[in-house]
Amino acid sequence: MKRNNFIERSLVGTLVFLKESVFSDDYAARRAFLQGLDPRCKLAAILMLLLAVMFSRNIYFLAGMYALCLLLAVSSSIRLGFFLKRTWVFIPLFSLFIAVPAIFEVFTPGQAVARLQLFGLSLTITRQGLASAGFFFIRVLTSVSLCVLLVLTTRHYALLKALRFFKIPQVFVMTAGMCYRYIYLFIEIIENTYLAIKSRVGTVPSTKKGQMVVAWNIGGLWQRSYTLHNQVYSAMVSRGYTGEPRDMNEFSAAGIDFLWLGTAFLILGLSLWQTYYLN
Amino acid sequence: MADVLFKLKNVHFSYLGRIPALCGVDLTVAKGSRIAVIGANGSGKSTLLQMLDGLIFPDQGTIRAFGTELKESVFCDEDFSANFRKRVGLVFQNPDVQLFCPTVKEDILFGPLQLELERKKIEERFAYLVEALSIQGLLERPPHQLSIGEKRKVAIASVLIMDPEVLILDEPTAGLDPLTTRHIIDLLCDPSSEKTLITSTHDLHIVEEISDVVYVFGQDKRIVASGEPEKILKDEDLLRQNNLVHIHRHRHEDKTHAHPHLHIEHHG
Ligand SMILES: Nc1ncnc2c1ncn2[C@@H]1O[C@H](COP(=O)(O)OP(=O)(O)OP(=O)(O)O)[C@@H](O)[C@H]1O
Ligand SMILES: [Mg+2]
Repeated sequence: MKRNNFIERSLVGTLVFLKESVFSDDYAARRAFLQGLDPRCKLAAILMLLLAVMFSRNIYFLAGMYALCLLLAVSSSIRLGFFLKRTWVFIPLFSLFIAVPAIFEVFTPGQAVARLQLFGLSLTITRQGLASAGFFFIRVLTSVSLCVLLVLTTRHYALLKALRFFKIPQVFVMTAGMCYRYIYLFIEIIENTYLAIKSRVGTVPSTKKGQMVVAWNIGGLWQRSYTLHNQVYSAMVSRGYTGEPRDMNEFSAAGIDFLWLGTAFLILGLSLWQTYYLN
Repeated sequence: MADVLFKLKNVHFSYLGRIPALCGVDLTVAKGSRIAVIGANGSGKSTLLQMLDGLIFPDQGTIRAFGTELKESVFCDEDFSANFRKRVGLVFQNPDVQLFCPTVKEDILFGPLQLELERKKIEERFAYLVEALSIQGLLERPPHQLSIGEKRKVAIASVLIMDPEVLILDEPTAGLDPLTTRHIIDLLCDPSSEKTLITSTHDLHIVEEISDVVYVFGQDKRIVASGEPEKILKDEDLLRQNNLVHIHRHRHEDKTHAHPHLHIEHHG
């Protein structure tokens, strides 16, 4: 019973944490450098920088790009500690599966740097292996940082609208927006239902009962979302919706946006030039 | 008569074909009239209002609006549909369903943009409503994260901005604090406007102000009484039968006594 409670509580806790970290507009609402840019330009420029990172074979260039990310974070009034935590969380995921194996001779043959004795296997770390892992690592780090910067400094709907500007189909963008909203609503419903159950019966007494409650919830959730969807649709129709949503195009690009776009373009050019003409 | 906007004749409606929600409703709404619909929970008020807004259609009987019989098929005509939506606005009972845009601002502007109203007029009304409902601080926030009362204010703004000729309100003041209720009633009952107002409410305090005629829905999902607010609000038996009387229970020293609370008395 103790364990049950623990799982139950930590599940709800995780959901609530997710809700707060994904759905908080905290950083996007601040007035600072990246937040002030036109979302379309920001999106395009970040894409270009991502490409630059992907093409580059120069470790100094990559290091410079990472430094740029940190600079951008600071100039967008994102606490460095928070930013690093956000980005470094993703690194192990990538590196564990790709980068770490790559340093060994089995995968990247070359000049031996060290030898490991592991489970009776003799593994040799190679210089080339280390170098490529290093490249990989800093590339992932920089790419993730760029994405995190984009997501943190842009309100999600502005991001969706910007996607629409780049001719991503309407249906996709609408659906993504609705999903976003419904996920929030679902978490909220689960949270509230959990509280409601707790307030009525204390804690859920047994696993069997607990399972039943979860089953009711999922059933109820499904029905609720269906009814809700119908009603939301009525409400849209009532206000004149005929299948083609219109909205105010509020984006306006200013000088600084083009400057930023130009800089990103130059960086991409530099990366390509380095990779393809210098070598 | 030219100035009859809605005419319902013996309307029946049931949800999913088995849950009856309206059982023989007759109702005429004249242009410029102000109507209140009161009744117990589940007596069909919301259903009626949605029907008046052309969202659901009778199983039996007819509803005519602006001289046209409302059916699913007439709304396929784009001109009629756009015209009808421009003229009739509904504030839903549940503000959650009404707000579906990413921010409050976009939600308020959704209707006028759909109906392609004039930009300048939209902006003026927007500024006016934001001021009148004091929702300046909410504009950039996602509507689903607001408090219930805030959501309701936004929902009301999102309909008022279209400036419809017929305004249908499903419990517009539920969950609002007294002062906000006051503001909203003042906003709705602007004496200079010629709007037709149809309101369902449990808040008998506001009935007299927002209506010239009251319809009482009974448990059998029909209109059981209608008349001037003064008359209906004095009819204690009628109100009691329809769950509409507040019973106040007081404690005087050791004795408890209860008495009904009549809303008409406040204005003596
Ligand atoms: N979506 C639905 N599906 C099935 N039945 C419904 C639905 N909506 C309402 N009903 C039923 O229709 C009847 C009338 O409901 P309606 O919402 O019109 O009542 P109401 O007078 O607005 O009540 P309230 O004062 O609680 O808002 C009720 O018996 C209700 O159970
Ligand atoms: Mg209702």
